[in-house]
Amino acid sequence: MATKSIKAEYLKGLWDENPVFRQLLGMCPTLAVTGTVITGIAMGLATSFVLILSSLVVASIKKLIPSQVRIASYIVIIASFVTIADQVLKAYFYPLSEALGPYVPLIVVNCIILGRQEAFSSKNTAGRSFIDALGMSTGFILALLLLGSIREILGAGTFLGYQVMGSWFKPWIIMILPAGAFMTLGILLGIALLIESKTKRR
Amino acid sequence: MSLSARMIIVLTLVGLISGGFLAGVATLTKEKIALNVQAEIEDAIREVVDKAKINTVLYEEKNLVIYRESGDGGDLVGFAVQATGVGFQDKITLMFGLDSALKEITGLTIIDQKETPGLGAKIEDREAFLQFWENRDASGLLTLRKPPTSKIDELLQTEINTITAATISSKKVLDIVNLSLERVRELIEQGKMNTEEKDGNEKH
Repeated sequence: MATKSIKAEYLKGLWDENPVFRQLLGMCPTLAVTGTVITGIAMGLATSFVLILSSLVVASIKKLIPSQVRIASYIVIIASFVTIADQVLKAYFYPLSEALGPYVPLIVVNCIILGRQEAFSSKNTAGRSFIDALGMSTGFILALLLLGSIREILGAGTFLGYQVMGSWFKPWIIMILPAGAFMTLGILLGIALLIESKTKRR
Repeated sequence: MSLSARMIIVLTLVGLISGGFLAGVATLTKEKIALNVQAEIEDAIREVVDKAKINTVLYEEKNLVIYRESGDGGDLVGFAVQATGVGFQDKITLMFGLDSALKEITGLTIIDQKETPGLGAKIEDREAFLQFWENRDASGLLTLRKPPTSKIDELLQTEINTITAATISSKKVLDIVNLSLERVRELIEQGKMNTEEKDGNEKH
């Protein structure tokens, strides 16, 4: 594997290997909690916390784990960080934790996290895994922020709870319903592919 | 060391260390989480019963908790009823207040709901729904006004405006309140709800 510069390792998560738009991983939270910007950001941050810490731990102890039980060990590590995130949210950000509902415990099955352990942290140093996880997290948060913004502005006329659309605007309720999530994601994926094909024409 | 021994040791260690961390975090956050849940209930009570300062649990059963509300001096200012029932999508937990004579509903607030965003979720909205619950008759069955009237004065004391496009959610909230009121009347008849009781489980 050719070694990338630290900067390239970070930046790949933003676009070239963006977890949502390029790898299509973590679709469940992407669709489920982006009805408002704030829940999208909160989910992004909680996932980042789990991803970054799991990557660090997995990369640090990868040599001790026999490959036959690596997936089981990764899942236990990931599940522990998810439970910690869930408890901390419940204790210190109670309204947010109520709004996110079952989707915080569901971070454990988010494919971005297990995917990065298997594809990256189990083969790279702790430092590199940290940068990789940071990049993936940023990419994930940006994607959720984008989806949440589009859906909240069109679906409720607000951004982070502040009215941004004039009184002439009639909220498109469908945008905050599941159907709106699928439509927004579909259109954004189409745009991402279009940009990709235009910029990387071979 | 054989491979299976290594696998067992590694998995055990990973499990033990994770478990230890989780136990630590749980101990640190347990109290705070319990306080959050209690604060949510106290906030809801303050919204529906004016001047409520001290909450005493009068009666408790599955899906129904009745609180006696007293002011600063321990004088009775009303009752708060916390009830859970089936909504359109999932359970709805709500809190409504009753005056000290148990004749009127003083207000209603939603503690937890998972109704459709933008439609049924309006049961949480003051303008669209909650305002109609102030000073309603608590002696009989409440009914829904459909189609809703824009003149609030026109509503009877036993009527609640229906939320347009969310009839089912409005009806579910109404059902929960009607059922709880019936149960409260039953409890009073059976003498299981001693309204004068002052000692017991006091919560500040």
